[in-house]
Amino acid sequence: MAASTDTNNRSLLRTARGKLALTAGPSTIWLGLLLLAPLTFMVTVSFMNINEAYNIVWQPSLDNYGQLTGPGLPWESSFWNTAFMESLLLSYVIAIVTTVMCFSLAFPLAYLLARKGGRVFKIVIFLVLLPFFTMYLVRAYSWLLMFGPNGVLNATLLKLGMISEPLAVFNFGVPAIIVGLTHAYFPYMLLSLYASLDGIDFSLVEAARDLGASRPAVLKDVILPLALPGIISGSLFVFVPSLGAFITPRFLGQGKVLMIGQLIEERINSLYAIGYGSAGSMFIVLTIVVAFALAFRYVDVDELGGV
Amino acid sequence: MATNTENTTDVTTVERFFDHRTRERWLRRGLYGIAGLLLVFLWIPLAVMVFLSVAQNASTLFPFEGFTLQHYAATFSDPGLMMALFNSAQVATVAACIATVLGVLASFALARREFPLKSAFRTFGILPMIVPGVVLGIALLIYFRTLLSAIPVVGDLFVPGFLTLVLTHSVYGFPFVLLIVSARLYTFDEQLEEAARDLGASPLETFRDVTLPIIAPAVGAGFLFAWIRSFEDFIRAFFTKGTMDVLTTAMFSMIKYGAAPKMNAISAFIVLVIAILLAVAMNLGNVTQYVAGGPDE
Amino acid sequence: MGLTGTAGCLGGLGGGSGSQTINILTWEEYADPDIKSRIEDEVGVTLEITKSTSSSKMFSSWNSGQNEQYDIAIPNNNYVPKMMDADLAAPVNEDVMTNSGDIYEVFKGFQESQFTSGGNTYGVPIRFGWYGYSYDSREISEDHEQSYDMLFNDEYSGNIIMYDNHFKAMSGAALYLGYRDAFEGSSVSLSEDQIEEVKNTMIDQKDMLQGYIAADPTYIKQFNQGNFVIGQSGRNEIVEMWSNGKSWPKMAAPKEGSLAWFESAVVSKASDNKEAAWKVINEYISPQNGASLAKTGYSPSVNPKTQEHLSDEQNEMFGAIDPSQLESMIPFKSVENEDAWLTAWEEIKSA
Repeated sequence: MAASTDTNNRSLLRTARGKLALTAGPSTIWLGLLLLAPLTFMVTVSFMNINEAYNIVWQPSLDNYGQLTGPGLPWESSFWNTAFMESLLLSYVIAIVTTVMCFSLAFPLAYLLARKGGRVFKIVIFLVLLPFFTMYLVRAYSWLLMFGPNGVLNATLLKLGMISEPLAVFNFGVPAIIVGLTHAYFPYMLLSLYASLDGIDFSLVEAARDLGASRPAVLKDVILPLALPGIISGSLFVFVPSLGAFITPRFLGQGKVLMIGQLIEERINSLYAIGYGSAGSMFIVLTIVVAFALAFRYVDVDELGGV
Repeated sequence: MATNTENTTDVTTVERFFDHRTRERWLRRGLYGIAGLLLVFLWIPLAVMVFLSVAQNASTLFPFEGFTLQHYAATFSDPGLMMALFNSAQVATVAACIATVLGVLASFALARREFPLKSAFRTFGILPMIVPGVVLGIALLIYFRTLLSAIPVVGDLFVPGFLTLVLTHSVYGFPFVLLIVSARLYTFDEQLEEAARDLGASPLETFRDVTLPIIAPAVGAGFLFAWIRSFEDFIRAFFTKGTMDVLTTAMFSMIKYGAAPKMNAISAFIVLVIAILLAVAMNLGNVTQYVAGGPDE
Repeated sequence: MGLTGTAGCLGGLGGGSGSQTINILTWEEYADPDIKSRIEDEVGVTLEITKSTSSSKMFSSWNSGQNEQYDIAIPNNNYVPKMMDADLAAPVNEDVMTNSGDIYEVFKGFQESQFTSGGNTYGVPIRFGWYGYSYDSREISEDHEQSYDMLFNDEYSGNIIMYDNHFKAMSGAALYLGYRDAFEGSSVSLSEDQIEEVKNTMIDQKDMLQGYIAADPTYIKQFNQGNFVIGQSGRNEIVEMWSNGKSWPKMAAPKEGSLAWFESAVVSKASDNKEAAWKVINEYISPQNGASLAKTGYSPSVNPKTQEHLSDEQNEMFGAIDPSQLESMIPFKSVENEDAWLTAWEEIKSA
């Protein structure tokens, strides 16, 4: 705005429009070419058939989607009765349970961090962030060592004589995947919750208590509403990547569990079935769009700033 | 039970006070307990892994057969793995440079300029972080392979390999730079720049002597985050790397192919490197603010 | 800093100085330093070997344009027709392939039936092995009737492993169900009803499984740890366990037939060094190099002359295979209607 006063200087840098072009332009072009265009292309491909030579047949059709869902309409059970839809539902269940787990684990810690400060805070946050920034792959791998009939968990309990046979819960499978995902995405939840709890004026809490509100009532009427943006953004940032998880179910499912990301990956890597893969990805994309649209009803885009 | 505050006598107030204190204490202890357990949960698998990296028997705790450093020696003399490590560092560096340049520029647009569709621009900017890796990886793979590779002359550039991976990671790293640097710019007092300008500094001098020193730590942190994100990414790389191996994909085959000793060693090494990088990044600025939550309102 | 990085990498792609470079995309064992340096000396080229861990990845990377980066790929035989269909492969230069005449007759036959199109041959078998099942002889008697029934036997519930690959696992189940006829001809042709039956059988089996495992070392590791007692596996895993001093794992040859794979070399149609590439391939089946390759991977070479360079013990374990045993095997083949297989496989996995 101030720049527009220098009317005598016509250099690009001096005009507001020029400055905007210089600052926002490059990233717009870059993301346009490497994010928007690929996603648009993917949407397009999802409506095209692919021939034997892996070329696209430019003729719109719903065949790819027809392969994913069963015959019939969404309210008929045959519609849901395909591997893809079952895998999708399983992925939803896993992602939702993971989100709930993350929330229940992160909330007490976030609350504590918000009320504490200084040195303790810095150390704890470092201890939380370090595993978080350690390679995702490494964290998934570390759980690979823990689970299994002879994994560290079962072996230790056996050694201590607490159990006589390996426990099934510590075998690979859905529980192991949920633990792995919770471990992987827990810090997203923690940091989001912390960010919103940190803004809370805790004298409000004291005031409510002094006025005689019970602890659960304070939690419900004061803390939770204030923490809502954090809860929502934290849940999004746990739910979305959990839904599309690939490595964790791959390592911790011992081949018996098929989440949506694995299914799409296998189709792409073994058959280069890009039509099928694109159409499958649309279900993830659509879920994200819906989830964010819902979230925006409660929180502002700025508060979803992110992780 | 706590609602009848109005009519209590002194005695009951005292009783309630003690009762309140005890409960408060137990609550706090419970809270600390949960927090402690959480840290254990976060750390146990990593600790086991680090332990196994120096244990003779690398695959599980029992039977324990003594300590050794031979897994590390074997890891660092594995030429394939070291090549992959080198590739990863190269890709991460180039991609983070691109992401930083674009991200810093875009941050100025967000913090300093008013324009239509600004919030759309912002959402667009953080999108690469939100789109799950599988989707972004496949979208880019199809785009490079089926669309761009078909372009005459330049098409060959987009055969999956080094360049396509750098492009992929430059997009992935962008939001991290954008969030960190724009957060810094929002808190930045623009009047400082105006003052410098009034004192006769050129825009370039103002940028160099006033703006840059203030945002430098944020730019550094943004670069580091983008770098780490690229370095640790598996799934996007898995699709767009072609046959070149980066560290994560090399490690993935190692796990699939059961090379536990080397895997533990390289993983433990990475935990150490990331610990150092993170400590640096945290000292460069308020990491938690960058990582969660938006800019200061 | 970034620019130097790019430049460095682009320089790396440029290849060697002076001598011709042959780029190969293949399995780890082919990059064994001894074999590599011998072939380099013999042919007078530099070998640049990129390791891959699956045939499908070799195929998909070639199909995504990397055929221009590589001269040779050595996937499993069932991927050779796919490469031919995608027009990626160059015809074999018979003049150069002096060792081809020595290979087992049965592989010459496979070459004829699987890799020939329009009078040209496109692939050369290198080494082979087969899939049946292996078991822990401390838990399961060696006298049992060797049949895929064992993998569907609820006596071993919770201790069974199937291969984590739609082709291998479903083929095993199809043979268990007696669909041997589908494996005749140039490709595997299960009817829709048969696929459905395979699927249902495997869904029932899933509860009895410890899991699906894809990679040899994982199989060996978990077998050693006692995570299962019987599993669908290749023979080379078991040979590797024997040579590490474990005698309890036993390999069974199911009466329904074992599935035989043979890795086969293909030269890229886009290669500028086709002749040198075929010379390199010829070396991989020479008596001496073929023997070294057999040793590193515990899998026999297609050239019986390699036995001269192996010890008696090695020959007994993996070097010398009774040709009559080969006749009864079912070679890997490309699959008709692979989409339907994969769909069924996904349904099994997500059941």
